[in-house]
This record gives sequence, C-alpha cells and structure tokens, in this order.
Amino acid sequence: MNKKKDKGFESPRPFKLTHQVVCINNINFQRKSVIGYVELTIFPTVVNLNRIKLNSKQCRIYRVRVNELEAPFIYNDPTLEVCHNESKQRNLNYFSSAYTAAVSAVDPDAGNGELVIKVPSELWKQGDDLKVLKVYIEFSLDQPKGGLHFVVPDVEGSMAERGAHVFSFGYQNSTRFWFPCVDSYSELCTWKLEFTVDASMVAVSCGDLVETIYTHDMRKKTFHYVLPIPTAAPNISLSVGPFEILVDPYMHEVTHFCLPQLLPLLKHSMSYLHEIFEFYEEILTCRYPYACFKTVFVDEAYVQVSSYASMSIFSTNLLHSPMIIDQTPQTRRCLAQALAQQFFGCFISRMSWGDEWVLKGISGYIYGLYLKKTFGVNEYRHWIKEELDRIVEYELKMGGVLLHPTFSGGKEKDNPTPHLHFSIKHPHTLSWEYFKMFQCKAHLVMRLIENRISMEFMLQVFNKLLSLASTASSQKYQSHMWSQMLLSTHAFLKSISNVSGKDIGPLIKQWVDQSGVVKFFGSFAFNRKRNVLELEIRQDYTSSGTQKYVGPIKVTVQELDGSFNHTLQIEENSLKHDIPCHSKSRRNKKKKIPLMNGEEVDMDLSAMDADSPLLWIRIDPDMSILRKVEFEQADFMWQYQLRYERDVVAQEEAITALEKFPTPASRLALTDILEQEQCFYKVRMQACFCLAKIANAMVSTWQGPPAMKSLYTRMFCCKSCPNIVRTNNFINFQSYFLQKTMPVAMALLRDVQNLCPKDVLNFILDLIKYNDNRKNKFSDNYYRADLIKALTNSLTPAISINNEVRTVDNLNPDVRLILEEITRFLNMEKLLPSFRNTITVSCLRAIRQLQKNGHIPSDPSLFRAYAEYGQFVDVRVSALEALVDYTRVEKSSTDLQWLLDMVQSDPIHYVRHKVLGMLCKNPPFTKTADSGLCNEALVDQLWKLMNSGTAHDWRLRCDAVNLYYTLFGLTRPSCLPLPELGLVLNLKEKKAVLNPTIKPELGVSVVMDTPASIGIHGVGMSYAAVDEEPDPVSLGVCGVGQPPQGLKRKAETPLGSPPEPGQILQHQDDDGRAGRYKIRFNTMEEEDIDMETVHDSQAFIHHHLNLLDRPSTPGKEPPLVEQPLLSMPATPLPPFSKETASLSSKHGGDHGHHHHHHHHEHKKKKKKHKHKHKHKHKHESKDKEKDRDRDNSYAYSNSPASGRSLRSPSLSD
Amino acid sequence: MQMGDSSAASGTSLNSGGRGAKAASSPAENYQLARRRTLQVVVSALLTESGFESAEKAAVETLTEMMQSYITEIGRCAKTYCEHTARSVPTLSDAVVTLIEMGFNVDTLPVYAKRSQRMVITAPPVTNAPVTPKSLSAGQKRTHPSHIPSHYPEFPDPHTYIKTPTFREPVSDYQVVREKAATQRRDVERALTRFMAKTGETQSLFKDDVSAFPLIAARPSVIPYLSALLPSELELQSLEETDSSEQDEQTDSENAAGNANADDPSADKENSVLPPGGVVPSAKASEDNVIDNPYLRPVKKPKVRRKK
Repeated sequence: MNKKKDKGFESPRPFKLTHQVVCINNINFQRKSVIGYVELTIFPTVVNLNRIKLNSKQCRIYRVRVNELEAPFIYNDPTLEVCHNESKQRNLNYFSSAYTAAVSAVDPDAGNGELVIKVPSELWKQGDDLKVLKVYIEFSLDQPKGGLHFVVPDVEGSMAERGAHVFSFGYQNSTRFWFPCVDSYSELCTWKLEFTVDASMVAVSCGDLVETIYTHDMRKKTFHYVLPIPTAAPNISLSVGPFEILVDPYMHEVTHFCLPQLLPLLKHSMSYLHEIFEFYEEILTCRYPYACFKTVFVDEAYVQVSSYASMSIFSTNLLHSPMIIDQTPQTRRCLAQALAQQFFGCFISRMSWGDEWVLKGISGYIYGLYLKKTFGVNEYRHWIKEELDRIVEYELKMGGVLLHPTFSGGKEKDNPTPHLHFSIKHPHTLSWEYFKMFQCKAHLVMRLIENRISMEFMLQVFNKLLSLASTASSQKYQSHMWSQMLLSTHAFLKSISNVSGKDIGPLIKQWVDQSGVVKFFGSFAFNRKRNVLELEIRQDYTSSGTQKYVGPIKVTVQELDGSFNHTLQIEENSLKHDIPCHSKSRRNKKKKIPLMNGEEVDMDLSAMDADSPLLWIRIDPDMSILRKVEFEQADFMWQYQLRYERDVVAQEEAITALEKFPTPASRLALTDILEQEQCFYKVRMQACFCLAKIANAMVSTWQGPPAMKSLYTRMFCCKSCPNIVRTNNFINFQSYFLQKTMPVAMALLRDVQNLCPKDVLNFILDLIKYNDNRKNKFSDNYYRADLIKALTNSLTPAISINNEVRTVDNLNPDVRLILEEITRFLNMEKLLPSFRNTITVSCLRAIRQLQKNGHIPSDPSLFRAYAEYGQFVDVRVSALEALVDYTRVEKSSTDLQWLLDMVQSDPIHYVRHKVLGMLCKNPPFTKTADSGLCNEALVDQLWKLMNSGTAHDWRLRCDAVNLYYTLFGLTRPSCLPLPELGLVLNLKEKKAVLNPTIKPELGVSVVMDTPASIGIHGVGMSYAAVDEEPDPVSLGVCGVGQPPQGLKRKAETPLGSPPEPGQILQHQDDDGRAGRYKIRFNTMEEEDIDMETVHDSQAFIHHHLNLLDRPSTPGKEPPLVEQPLLSMPATPLPPFSKETASLSSKHGGDHGHHHHHHHHEHKKKKKKHKHKHKHKHKHESKDKEKDRDRDNSYAYSNSPASGRSLRSPSLSD
Repeated sequence: MQMGDSSAASGTSLNSGGRGAKAASSPAENYQLARRRTLQVVVSALLTESGFESAEKAAVETLTEMMQSYITEIGRCAKTYCEHTARSVPTLSDAVVTLIEMGFNVDTLPVYAKRSQRMVITAPPVTNAPVTPKSLSAGQKRTHPSHIPSHYPEFPDPHTYIKTPTFREPVSDYQVVREKAATQRRDVERALTRFMAKTGETQSLFKDDVSAFPLIAARPSVIPYLSALLPSELELQSLEETDSSEQDEQTDSENAAGNANADDPSADKENSVLPPGGVVPSAKASEDNVIDNPYLRPVKKPKVRRKK
C-alpha cells in the first residue's frame, strides 16, 4: 500500500521500451553456444539521455550500436562475486546485506542494469525532440550456466536423433541470462523473435509463429515469431529441440511439444487440457488472452512448471501413460497452475516486486477454484487445510512471511523482516522455501478476501482487471495505456472496493502488510445452571511468526438440537465468551440429531456427558483466519466430531486430536471411519496412521488381531482364502489409495518389545508375494512401491552385541526376508523399469533404513552409484537423500565433500538445488551442536559457493545461503578462529615438506599469514571466476579485480576501441591464461599436484579451492615479508601483472605456514592419510583453537569489513 | 484257393519281402522269405505249365513281383470291402466282388482250378508263423457275468475300459492357482535376476559376502527418462489383453458403480489408449491438415537469393 497515488506506473528508467527484436542466428549444441543480436527500440523520456542501462548476465557482448553508431559500453555484474576481494568476513549478516546491495545495484526495477551503454554524443544533440533510439547489441553465450539449459545426451547420431534440446529457465526475472534486455516485469514491449535452428529441430517461443523459412543452404530453418501483446522480458522464453508436435484435437490454436518417442504419452496427458481452458475462460468470463498456446515438455527441467507469455515449459516427467493413476491428478494440477499463470503473471504483469503477491495470489486462487471443480469440495478443503498448516508451520518455525513489504525508499536499514537471514527486498535474495510459502500465503489471503466479499465479486474484479489489460494490450504504445497491464496492490484493492463496495482494509493490513499467523488456544466449560457454554480463547502473539488477531471469529457448536454458528468478537482483553446453548441435556428422547448440512442422523449418545448438550465445538471452521488452533475438548467429543461432522477438515482435526486419546472408543471411531466408503479417502488414509499410533499406545491392552489387518482382509482379500489378496483391480481409486496406504500404516505397529508384530510382517510379505497385476488395466508400480515402504516402516533398530560388524551370517531372519524382497524388486526394476522408477526410489529408501538401523553395514557406495548423472532424476534424488542422511549419521566429511562437489558441478540444476535443500533439512550438523565436520575449509567452501560459485542461479545461491545459515547461523561460525586468523590460508601444505626448519611450536604466535593469504586469495578467486565463467564479463570484473570504485572510474572512461571490446577482453583472457599457466607450473614444483589435474581446469580449480580453504596455521615468520603483496588484489591491475604478484606472494607465503603444517600432521595423523585435505583440518583447528584465540586480538585491524585497509602502512612497510 | 489263402494271410506284410537272400534274422523275415520262395516256385510251375523250358532269374523275379502285387491288391480290396460292411474278416463274397472289380472273370476260376495239367506244389515248409507281440494286458480279463450267455464275445482287455482318476480333489482351486502363480513368478524372477547378477556387474550390500544379496549394478543411461516414462512392452501387452478381456467386466463394473467413475481419469483413457495404433488419431491428423496450425505449415524456401 505504499503507492497511494492513483497515477499510472512510473518507470524508474529515463526511457521507455516499445519494441524488442531478439534474433538468435546460431545455436550450437555441440559447443553449447548461442550467437545472436537484440535490437531495442526505446523512447527517451528525459532530454539528455546519455546512458542506457540494460540487464545482461554471462553474455559476451561484441558490439553495441545506437542508431547505427558504435557505442561504448561497460559491463559490470556485482552479483558475480558478492563480497569482493575475498574479505575475511564470514558472517551471514554481512553477506546478506552485501548481496542485497549487489542485486539492487543491477535491479531493473530501480532503473539499474549490468550493462551500461553510453549514448554516442552525436545523438545527444537531438535531445529536444526525444527521438526514438534503436539499440543494437550483438552477443553470444558460451556454455551458459544459467538462463538457458542444454540437454545433449551423449550418444551416437545427429543432435536431433540424440534428443538434444535447449530451453530457457530461471527463477523470477532471469531473462538477462540469455539475452540483453530490460529484465523487469514492469517494462512491457512488443516482440519479434527469430531463431535459426537445424532443419530437424523446432524452435518454440512466445507469440505467434508467423513463418518458417529455410536458410539458403536448406540445412537450417528460421522460426519467425511475433508477439504483438506488450510483454515483459522475463516472460519471454525459448525451447529448441527435435520435438514431436501435437496439435490439440479440441483447440487447434494450442500446440503441444514433447521429446521424441513420447508422443503417445503426450496425447494422453494433454487430452484434458481443453477442460481447464474452458473452466478458466468461464469463471473469468474472458477469453484466453493470447492467440495461441504452446506446451513444451523438456528433460532436466528447472521447475516442474514455468509459464511464459503464450507458452509453458514443463518437466517431461509429468507425461504419463493411461495406466498410471497417481501421476494423473498431479499432472493436471500442473497444467492448471500453468494456465492460471498465463492470465495472471504473464498477460497481466506486476508493477513491482511488492505487488507480486497479488499475481501469485490470484493465480493460486483461481487454480484452487479449478481444484474445487475438478477434484471436488472435499479435495479443495483438504488442500486449503494442508496449505494453511504448511504456512502456519513455516511461519511459526522461521518467522513471518510478509506479502507486501514496504521499503521506505531511503537507504536506511529498515528491514521489515529482521527475523530472516536473507532480505526480502528482491525476489533474488529470497530463499526458495520462503518464496513457496509466500505463494501459498498469497492464495490463502485471496481466499480470505473472497470470504469477505463473496466469490462473485471476486471474479468480477478479476474480469475487470483482465478487460482493462486486454483493452490496453491492443493499443499502440503511444496511447500510454500499457501500464494498465501492470497490476499493483493499490490498483487491485481499489478495484475490489469499487466492485464490492466493501472495505477490506483491516484484512489487508492484518495479512498482507503484516507478517505472522495467529495461534489460538481454546478450551471450554459448560455451565449447567445457566445453560451456557463458557468458551475461553487465548492467543500467543509473542513467539516468532505470530501476530495478534482482533476481530470476528466464527465458532460452531454442535448440540443435541442442532448445529449453531456463533460469531464472537476477539478483543484485546476478552478471553472468555459465553455462548448460550439451545438444547437442554435430554437424551432420553430418542431423536435424530440435525447436523450443519441439514442431514439428520442417529447417534449413540451413551458416551456423552449426561449433563451437557454439547457434542462438539469448532473454532473458525471455515479457515477464515490464518491460524493454528489448539482446542481442548473431551475425547468423546472428538470421536463424535470424527464420526458425524461432514466437513473433511473437521474430521482431519479430530483424527489429529484423537492421537492423544488411545482408548477403545477412539479405536472404534477410527475403524468405523476406515470402513465407511462415503467418507473422503484422504481422511480414511489419515485414520490409518492415527489408528497405528493408538494401537501402539494401547499395546498392552490391545484385543484381537493387529489393527487394520482384519479390515484389510475383508476389503481386499479373497473370501475363500483370506491370506491371499485379490488380484489387483484399481478401477475404484478411493479403495486403491486405501489399499496402498493401509499396509504402510500397519507396518508402523509395534508389539510389547517394540518390534513390528510377526503377523504384520508376514502379512505384508504375503501381499507382495500374491500381488498379481495381470488383470489390471492400471500399473501397480505405486502400490508396489508402497509395499516396499511398508517393509521399510516395519524395521526397528537391530540389537547389536558389542558392536559386531554386520555380516550376512548374523542377519536377523526377518530382515533377511525383507532384504530378499528388496533385492528382487531392485533387480527386476533393471529389467522392467517401473514408471518414474518408483520402485527403485522405495528400495533405496529401504536400504538406507536397513543401514541406519544397523541391520546391514552402513555404506554410501550404492547410493553414490544411483546418484550419478544418468539415472532418472527421482532415483538420484532419493539416493542423494540417503547420502545426506548417511553424511549426518556417520559424520562423513568425504561424503559431505562429494555432495558439495555435486552442488558445484552437476549438470542438472534441479539436482543441485535439491542437494542443498536436503542438506538444509537434514543437516550434517547445526549451529548449536559441535561437530567434527565443522571446520574452516567447509566454511570457506560454502562461503565461496554462495559468494561466487552460484552466481548463475539465483535459487541455488539462496539455497547455499540457507545451508550456511543452517550450519553456522547468522554470526561468524564458531569453528573459525576470530576474524584475523580466520582467513589465513594454509596454502601449501604439501610444499611444507621442503621446509622442515620450523617447528610447529614456534608457529603459534605470529599473524603473518593474514596478508599473504589475502593476496593469494585474491588470485585464487580470479582463477576460479575466470575458469568457470570464461566470458568477458567476469574477466572485466574479476579478472581485473575491480572493486566498485574502480568500476565507476572505468565507466567514465569510454572504452577505447569501439568495434570489438569483447575481442579485446578475450585477448586479455588469453594472456591471463598464459600467465596463469606459468603460475601453475611454478606452484606445481612446489606443491605436488599431479600434471593431470592441472590440465583439467575444473580439477585445478577445485584443487585450488581446497588449498585456499585450508585452515590456517599461524606461521612463525615475521609479518613483514608478506605485507606488500597484500595490497595487490585491491588495485585494479591487468590480470597478468596481478598474476605475477600473486605468484611471488605464494612463494613468500609458503615458507611461513607450510612446513609447519606438515610437521603437525606427521605427528598426529599418520593414520588418516586417505583424506588428506579434509580430515586434517578439524584436528588441527581444534588443536590450535587456543592459540588462535590468543592471536585474534592481534589481527582485528584487518577485519574484512575494512577491506582494502589491509594495506595499511603499519603492516606493509 | 491257395491264392486266396495266401492273400488273406499275408496281405499286410508282403511288401516287405523280396529283398534278396539275406540271412534272415528274425522269425518274421524267415516266414516271409519262405512265402516268397513258394511264390517263386508257383511262378516257375506256371511257366513250365505254359511250356517254358527255362527262364531268366530276372524274369521270374518280375513275374513273382507282379503276382505278389496282384494278390496283395486282392487282399487289400477284400479287406476294404469287408470293413465297409462292418466286419473284420473278409468272406468269400468280398473276394469275389474284389475280383470282379479288378476285371477278373470269376466264372473261369473253377474251370481253371480243375484243369488237368495243373501242378501240385507242396506247401511251404512251415516256419514259425510270426508271433504277434502280446498285447499289453492290464489286470485280469473279466469273465461274463451269469446273465450273459457265454457265446457272447469276451470282454476286451481291461485297459480299454478301466479308468484311473488322474487328478487330485480340487481342495481350494483358486488358492492353489494363486499360490502356484505367485511361487512360479517369484522363482522365475529370482532366477532371472540372479542370472543377470551373475553375468553382469553387481553391487553388494555386504562387504564380507559379496554374493549374498547381489544387486545388478546401477548403470547410468543416456536418456534416463525414456525407460522411466514409457510403459514397458510387458505392460502394454498385458494392457491389450485386459482391454479385450475386460470389455465386459468393464461395463459391468461401470453399471454397478454408476457414473462415479465417469469423471475419473480412467474415463477418457479408453479413447486415448487406442491412439498409438488406433483410429482416432488418423482421423484427427487428417483434420489437422485442414486446420491451419503454424507448426504444421510447410517450411518456406528462401526467396531472396532466387530473386537475385
């Protein structure tokens, strides 16, 4: 609500973009490179436009021309390396603010950009008439690490035969990764897109395909797209591949694309899309805004669904055959999401980041309406509850989610969300999980608004927004109407008040402008004399993530005479509310009891309190507050609620509550629900798990066969032979899901010895044995996967006698049976793979569980094999999950390293993201606990990862930040010595061998390493950056080692030779390399790196990183020696000279620490030589902690924040 | 008479004779050789009767062969006639009809038989008639019960009518079938996977005994999504089977379940199962050609250069 003005959109730029041409002439799959140009047509809005800022990342820019005149330009991307100069800071607060500053510095919404073009002075003079400028930029991309993803399977054949394809991706505005543009959602323009691709390929992009023309040699063709609807650059996408084309049989303007051989799946999976179209068009009373729609299914997708103007890119793994049950609703949900975003998100774009919640909210909300229509009200309410629980859980754990942050413009640090370890000022600084929760909350808030103003008004508002936008979209630029296509919070709220005439201000203030959820505690007493229900509702608004709620709340009381709604007012000081009851307690009269929905039922009232007419009470039954309610009522009331309340949410709440009441009555209520076919299947599934818990709690008094067994037998087994399950027939999905779930829940049962009852295990083994799917028209892969899951659940920790090694011989006989099954399943999967390899996924989990419980030896090698690139992605993720768990349990630094290597180098972005995500969820250690894994090398590695290693992927960088936060917290990691020493690097461990003169004991007191290491670090960084991102950009920035000030200076001097700046940079690059090689060889003589790693640049970098990451040991030499070097990286030097400098610094540096280290190792670690790099440090660091502490005070002056002050005279000369 | 006799007795086995004077090894061969020799004597006698002084051996052999064929044919035909009338032993009339059928004037036969210059040939030395191998007798032949006159034919061998039940009582048919199917499948799977594991690379869960639970090694595939997404041939095959066999069940269950399933994903599946080879898509495709979708339009040729 910060934009109170009613004016249109105010652009942060001194110009307006009207049209952009993107032409990609060449896409080389072999080299993974792209060459093309863009041409932006802009209208200056100021008189003297002398500088144009555009966004561009990782593109190599060859030339820029403005109206046919060569224009000098500067390319600077501060996000490549967030904290410059390898400062020694290691605290997250520092990083977060630096990162936010870096992102702001190039934020298009603030009018900034990485690419600054100087408008040739010839053009200034015409300033007055504000003529159109055409900015022409030639660029190329080489092995892009973000923005575009190449999938090139390594097989024989042409690229088309190999199924090679490329597609654009990104998190929020990431189009700058693949072509220069104004990468803002609020800068709209029309588009002309041209892509020249191999004749066997198809290029799918936004807008209408006007024509396809062969090139002269007939070996390629050019796809010409025109997008006449003003669209923001982030909504432009591309995918190229040998796609199979399917024109939708119901809507001919919709075309589907999939990879070769998948056409049958595509046909089936898309057979439903037209219904989603119809649904949205109907509720919005608005036609789909674009003239066509394209769906593309690609491999190695970044996210499952991403929507762009008139096209959506999906993961190919959403495609499925008609035999698959479980995937079907998921795929349809994805389609519905994509389509909802076409209207709100693509067609209607946001005005600023603060308005994102409106778009996400509306698209999420209409998607919810679709769910309600397609999957039913039960499913919808269940989903809403699920989402509400998710957001509540997240906010209570992590602190509030703020939908509409306001930043009071100034640069003062007013952080609206101080509880978070990242800034929410930019989408690119948000953690992915937060963003997901943000979307979740947004659509829930939309639902709250709907509750307030009615759905009819809600849809009218949407319709109004859409019609405004579509009128605007058909106008010429000159009409200045395009900003109508941008949606802001203000416009949205205004539209709501216009349409509904209602003031939703308080609601917005509560949920949108404020973060946090409400936490209610409720309890009641029945006053018999007054016949009044005394309800007490308390709130917790002090813990993190909570807020205080004041306002109406609905309470539903089910009495003997019927169900009554009461609206109470929650006020500051009133906790107690008296609710008069309608009925007297009179249960002698046998009478049917009316329910909320008008139904009248017979109830057995014997369980009730004779004095009270209350059956059950519900607080906020409609979920019209974002809240968590902990309500206390007697067990019989929960049981009544479960049996007779028709709302699935109430039933689920009752089930959750019943877990605390392990009594025969609860058991009966749950069993009855399980058997009731009219009951929503998800409720029944949940009842299974609750029943298992109750049974375990009642283990000593439990009567009869294990819970659910006889029920299962009755429902799914043969009448004549109850131990044999019927042949599969999944035609009834409700019972299919129940059939799948019950064994999983049953396996959680435990007997008095806390083992899974023999009965149950044999039962499950029989289910597996007699499983027969031959007569079934559906695949049973998910069912079998769940049976394996059941086996997994049945496992309990092995009884280990004096830590014996696990061998085949001492295997527990039950475990042997389980293992037999798992082996067979896993092996069969190789011969007859199941859909999405669900069975392998389950088997891997089972094996990990066996390991973890000590039944089989714990060993990561199997998982590593399954985690390799080339396995199906689900399998990889489950293997990685096992590895992450292994890393935590076994405290294995090798495996942690292996995982982190994967984060750095895996070809699939999703997998990298997933690894970090899983490490956060199941961290090897946390900030609160000490761990041997926590050492400086790790700190440095992670720091590097988020500082520069993940610059090509916003999401990944935020993941890295999350992990860092999880492991070390906000402040400086405890395993580091205090700052001065913290960064000291023990660069040449190995070389130390040569320098045996210095004894370790001596090395304690001196600080000298700091400077040297900094010098070295600087160089190391430039290595890394250069080798990883061999484009001129990074060279310009990192190679030259420019600090921000330097950049500014540079910006002022127009670039010398206009035509080919890129080329020149390239040259430098080469020179640089030459220099570097030299260094490498030099270092090699000293460190025993083997030659091969040197040739392999990647390995070299890693090696270097490792070296750099090594913890420091204070050297003993006087600091003086190293001082001069220290300053080197700070001054912008041509790479070459810097290299030499660093070279010498290395030489110098070595003497100090290295042999010291060596000594040390020899003393303490003869055994541990396997993992030289990693293991040493922890020990050392511990050993030296004291020493460092002592030293710390000494070096404080060099603290990272002070950055360049390092070359302070006192040290150097 | 003699001819008739011999034909009746030896009709079936004559063909095999006449392979020269090899030392006969079996009694049956001996017997046949003896017959052959007798036939030769008969032929020679007839020749003498007709006034021949001598004859070449080849000629005699040929004539013997012809006679043998003739007699065989008479025997065969007579047997056929007799069987045609549902008897097992040929009668005189059968022989007569046969002769007539073969174009022999039967009336001349008695005269010819009583001719004066007819030579009488001694009967062949009786070698042991071939022993017909004893038919397998199972059990004891039943004697006639008292109410059956003894002139009625004897009971045939017991094996022709005795039955021995060969199946066990179907205790619980279904259970056994399921049990068997399950065990069989499991055995096949286990054997197959063990084989695969033995012949290929494996991974093991135990360091001490690598062969205990051999896992076929995980191999990265170049295009992993294909095998993970496409239904296996087995599944497709079984799907086809169930599709055809289930048509009836399907309608049944749908009737029973009402329209509950109509909205389910399964509802439109039948339609789309067909496409891979079915009718729907081709019809659609032809429509599509009519429909103007930019991706189906032909690619244009470059014009610029031509105009140059």
